Amino acid sequence: MADKKPTKGSKQKGAPVSAGAGSRSLSSHLPPVVEPGYTMATVADKISEVVLTQNTPRGWYIGLAFSFALTMLLLVSITWLLVRGVGIWGINVPVAWAFAIINFVWWIGIGHAGTLISAILLLLRQDWRTSINRFAEAMTLFAVACAGLYPLLHMGRPWLAYWLFPYPNTMGMWPQFRSPLVWDVFAVTTYLLVSLMFWYIGLIPDLATLRDRSPSRTGRIVYGLLAMGWRGSARHWHRYEMTYLLLAGLSTPLVVSVHTIVSFDFAVAQVPGWHATVFPPYFVAGAVYAGFAMVVILAIPLRRFYGLQDFVTMRHLDHMARIMLATGLFVAYGYMIETFMAWYSGSVYESSLMNNRFTGPYAILYWSLLLFNVLIPQGLWFARVRSSTTALFMIAISVSIGMWLERFIIVVVSLHRDFLPSSWGMYYPTFWDWSMYLGSIGLFFSLLFLFLRFLPMISIFEMRTLLPESEVKEDLG
Amino acid sequence: MNPGEAYLLPRDSPLEQMATFAGVCGLVGFVVCGAMAVATPAAVAESYLFAFLFWSGIPLGSLAILMLQHITGGAWGAVLRRILEAATRTLPLLAILFLPILFSTGLLFEWARPEVVEHDLVLQHKRAYLNVPFFAFRAVLYFVVWIVLSHFLSEWSRRQDRAPESIGLRLENISRGGLLLFVLTMTFASIDWAMSLEPHWYSTMYGILFIGGQVLSALAFVIPVTAVLAARPPMLEVMTADRFQDLGKLLLAFVMVWAYFSFSQFLIIWSADLPEETPWYLRRLSQGWQWAAIALIILHFMLPFVLLLSRDLKRSRRWLMAVAAVVLAMRAIDLSWLVLPAFDRGGLLWVPSDFAAFLGVGGLWFYYYVRQLRSAPMLPLNDESLPEMRGLQP
Repeated sequence: MADKKPTKGSKQKGAPVSAGAGSRSLSSHLPPVVEPGYTMATVADKISEVVLTQNTPRGWYIGLAFSFALTMLLLVSITWLLVRGVGIWGINVPVAWAFAIINFVWWIGIGHAGTLISAILLLLRQDWRTSINRFAEAMTLFAVACAGLYPLLHMGRPWLAYWLFPYPNTMGMWPQFRSPLVWDVFAVTTYLLVSLMFWYIGLIPDLATLRDRSPSRTGRIVYGLLAMGWRGSARHWHRYEMTYLLLAGLSTPLVVSVHTIVSFDFAVAQVPGWHATVFPPYFVAGAVYAGFAMVVILAIPLRRFYGLQDFVTMRHLDHMARIMLATGLFVAYGYMIETFMAWYSGSVYESSLMNNRFTGPYAILYWSLLLFNVLIPQGLWFARVRSSTTALFMIAISVSIGMWLERFIIVVVSLHRDFLPSSWGMYYPTFWDWSMYLGSIGLFFSLLFLFLRFLPMISIFEMRTLLPESEVKEDLG
Repeated sequence: MNPGEAYLLPRDSPLEQMATFAGVCGLVGFVVCGAMAVATPAAVAESYLFAFLFWSGIPLGSLAILMLQHITGGAWGAVLRRILEAATRTLPLLAILFLPILFSTGLLFEWARPEVVEHDLVLQHKRAYLNVPFFAFRAVLYFVVWIVLSHFLSEWSRRQDRAPESIGLRLENISRGGLLLFVLTMTFASIDWAMSLEPHWYSTMYGILFIGGQVLSALAFVIPVTAVLAARPPMLEVMTADRFQDLGKLLLAFVMVWAYFSFSQFLIIWSADLPEETPWYLRRLSQGWQWAAIALIILHFMLPFVLLLSRDLKRSRRWLMAVAAVVLAMRAIDLSWLVLPAFDRGGLLWVPSDFAAFLGVGGLWFYYYVRQLRSAPMLPLNDESLPEMRGLQP
């Protein structure tokens, strides 16, 4: 039944382009959102086939096995960490924050593209978002899950994590509400919950489609339970659309707030290199930058492997490349203004920090950061680069590395030489630092492979609204 | 008859009467400023700087919105385009109005007084950047960049009126590089003209906070202008409730951006509590300026934020115009709060020369603005999105 009447979004077709909506001037010289020749039924076939097929492709097994092996490495690392304590990492005074915080910020930043695509682009009526929002949202969830591990483990006694919450207790303990680290607890928890709800609610009509199409009894039962009795009636759709829009409104501030608070973790301190007023918008831009890079990294192989080039078209890649270019330029602006102000401030601490970045023991990383995050992505100015999947993929990889280096520079390079030269020191990652990092990448991809196999990676019902036959001929006069 | 003629600013438009009135106010303001400058040149220079920074924010913010619109598209852009272009075409006038500031650096800026710099190690360090010849050179550079950009944007757009050629891609391309150049030049212009008034203080947020404020000023200015024009044809035909709603959304977005930048900068400086940073806020939160700060929180953020959430309000021409007018007035308070506490005024917030300079610069600027608005059809006649917009008209 859910198969028959997808009306969601169709009335938006005739609506005027809202403020900031950008597809008009672009649409004239860009390929379409869905390649021609599809009908309501073939769209559903094409997307649900990946899930309902009995022959799982061999590539999927290989990919999952590899990521699962890395997940096991993560479990070993966590076990060893709990046995021995955080001393197995390379952290020590003065660098007491290192990989755990770098990876936390890196992962949580990656999640931002999913929220931006699902919430802001929905509110701006950018219908091209439809074919990438589902897996971008899934990416957000998995990235936030990976991110959440690190602060918990970094505390040393993760079983006492509930102490972070303000609850009445006999120990006379209460969180320090002036600390952004406490705000982080709430920001990230909210982010995870809202993203999860948004993703799940978006899935419901598709879960019903899978329930109706599943050839196996188990499939019908499992998808049936998850679909929560969805019948696709007009009333269902009405409430569904209301909920979805409300959740989009609720998620929109989260795109900005989460990374703003993450930036406060650093910026409210006095350490040169952390204390910069430009941090909040610069962190948010960096997060969106890294997030879109990850969406591109995932989208390019996926569309080829599953033959989805007709749904995730070159137009999507082009739009994402443009967003990467814009946010990347803002990140570069952040580097520029920080360097200028370090000199302009006339403060010996600020300028020696900047000297240390350019010429200190970690200078090679700062120069690599400029290469990966600023220089290489300038290729995105050229339409030829944006229309080559290979070039785009390479640039996205470069941005991912660059954004990781950026967090390394901010966290480690600022800490290792602060005000007193007598307390300077160096930080070197240990085996367990690297194993945790690689392990979290394994966890991310394991979850992603499971998602690809068991849930539709593209929203079936929303894709149908992009078809010409779903256009509602309204009498506007 | 030239087909564009019906689209010109009507001779009896209220804007024309306002322009005449503004021109007279401008002249009077300048005469009063000149007279006051004989007795208290420093006070007049301070007032003039504030007035210049406020009024120049409108054309500069318009330049940013114009380029942003060429890059992102959207129907709201075509209706605003000429109104924004007319604002950017006033930049040559502002370059001339900048001259008094250039010639009173010694009165305005501590770093331009050798006797101060002599005893100040930090200012000696900054002398490589903060010195009068380099300051003048940079100002020339900024104006050249802005005037060249605004010239091409408006000339190409006007050429399209005469010959229906597709010029969208060209405008889009110049806007990409142009926006980048604008953000860079404006960042340094804000450091030069406003931040360096307190030469020991620095904040990496300052440039974009200033630019965000300019964009907001520009929006809060063009919304009332558009609303006045929308009372009669030709703008009446295209300024539907949907278009006003688009403008209202933009205004809401930039009110939030401004609040986000301002609050972030404040929180970070307040938390770290460093002796080289807090004096800037201490001066702005004492001696009466704290009332201006509270007014900014309530009237520059809370009130417009709450009102602009309403869909009905955004779709109403009069209400949106009223909210925009409040925001524009608060932009002036914000600029005075940014600039004037840098000077020692013995507990006075605003002095008579502030009002004279504000009227003087503003009056002349507005007169010139309406002249620019008059010089071309109010809508881009051959724009691709224009027929479509009329089609949506109920």
